[in-house]
Amino acid sequence: MHPTLRVARQPLIKFLGKRIYPSTPSAPHPHPAAPAEIKSKFADFVKKVEASAASSSTVVQSNGALKEFWEAPERLWRQDIEQAEIDAILASLTGGASLH
Amino acid sequence: MVLEGVKLNLENMLAAKDNAVTGLTKGIEFLFKQNKVDYIKGTASFVSANKISVDLLDGGKGEVDSKNFVIATGSEVTPFPGGGIPIDETQIVSSTGALSLQRVPEKMVVIGGGIIGLEMGSVWSRLGAEVTVVEFLGGIGGAGIDEEVAKQFQRLLTKQGLKFKLNTKVLSAEKKDGKVILKAEAAKGGKEESLEADVVLVAIGRRPYVEGLNIAAAGVELDNRGRIIIDDQFNTSTKNIKCIGDVTFGPMLAHKAEEEGIAAVEYIKTGHGHVNYNAIPSVVYTHPEVSWVGKTEQELKAEGVKYNVGKFLFTANSRAKTNLDSDGFVKIIAEKETDKVLGVHIIGPNAGEMIGEGVLAIEYGASAEDIARTSHAHPTLSEAFKEAAMAAYSKAIHM
Repeated sequence: MHPTLRVARQPLIKFLGKRIYPSTPSAPHPHPAAPAEIKSKFADFVKKVEASAASSSTVVQSNGALKEFWEAPERLWRQDIEQAEIDAILASLTGGASLH
Repeated sequence: MVLEGVKLNLENMLAAKDNAVTGLTKGIEFLFKQNKVDYIKGTASFVSANKISVDLLDGGKGEVDSKNFVIATGSEVTPFPGGGIPIDETQIVSSTGALSLQRVPEKMVVIGGGIIGLEMGSVWSRLGAEVTVVEFLGGIGGAGIDEEVAKQFQRLLTKQGLKFKLNTKVLSAEKKDGKVILKAEAAKGGKEESLEADVVLVAIGRRPYVEGLNIAAAGVELDNRGRIIIDDQFNTSTKNIKCIGDVTFGPMLAHKAEEEGIAAVEYIKTGHGHVNYNAIPSVVYTHPEVSWVGKTEQELKAEGVKYNVGKFLFTANSRAKTNLDSDGFVKIIAEKETDKVLGVHIIGPNAGEMIGEGVLAIEYGASAEDIARTSHAHPTLSEAFKEAAMAAYSKAIHM
């Protein structure tokens, strides 16, 4: 490429990089591949979704406990078991003798 | 090198196919295990928006409660309208049966000139069958194919021995003396004709599959084509149930469903996700391959968008010429005003791999000049892509 071109030319390409999203969820819109008649009735669809959310059964128990682990804060989720821990448990099953 | 006595071993070929399918399926099961995903094998049915019952393959029943569900039940072969041509998967087959024929048919008729019909038809044609494709529309390749590519595609397949009956409507099929006799007429009405075949492939499309899912119990709605209605966050009409893939809007492609699956889970977890439906590639796995992404010339004309076209023939590409495999071309369509790439259409060797560069260009909003000023290795087929981009914004140098 001629040096003057290198200075003058500005690529159109946009490197998108790591996505950073706002903390609030984005609002739903009609699906881009939906047919026109579905898109035109999107407000009705949103009402149905909202109504279903209000009527769907809650998974929070009456005593305030959570039914599923993923409803708790992420720091309380079950952790992966490391190989060392598996080895330690296996060792305990053999009478406590160390594998190492 | 002189090879003599080369002949088809269909049994081995089908065994290799089965082996590949099994290996890939097992691969998914392995990934489930690795990622601590429980795989419950059975048929699911909604009991409510938060509960499904499962008829287990191994017998018995199970129930699963969940805060969120993602429906990804896919699609099934569309049967011939009116039930007039029932599929038996031996003589009248769907794509499933066409993958397992026990011998090469002498004569094969393919009903439907879309992607699946052409892929299956061209395989059996190359193995020695006399294949006739009957298509209701005036062109082959199905929805989304560029007309210029479709015409070249038909020319090349005709050169290979496939026959085409376009603008033709199949009326009925009758089994007689080990053959299938098809009745057909011009799509707009006209003289009836008969076609004889050893095997008929019904490949008129696929339809969403929700049988037995009892989606009514969950309050999930379908449109008039049987697709589950969703918004751009993959929400169905029931808040905690999302839906992806063939069973909802958009092209029925595995890689489209894959993007949607990731985005749907991202929406559940973060409230944000991303699928660019304008950058989903389509590939026809024939020889030569055909691929495309973005807009066709016909779509841009209909939208009133002004554009430039750059085209480069594989006959002028070093590697294609060396490989004696130089049918086809790369066609790049760029917006006239900005030079932004709007569509990429390829027919020729390696088209299915090469389209990745076009997808990336569209995803990143690249111009034809951006591609043209990027170095492509010599001697490779990808140089045809660069040259087509050069032709779109200025001039190809090797043609």
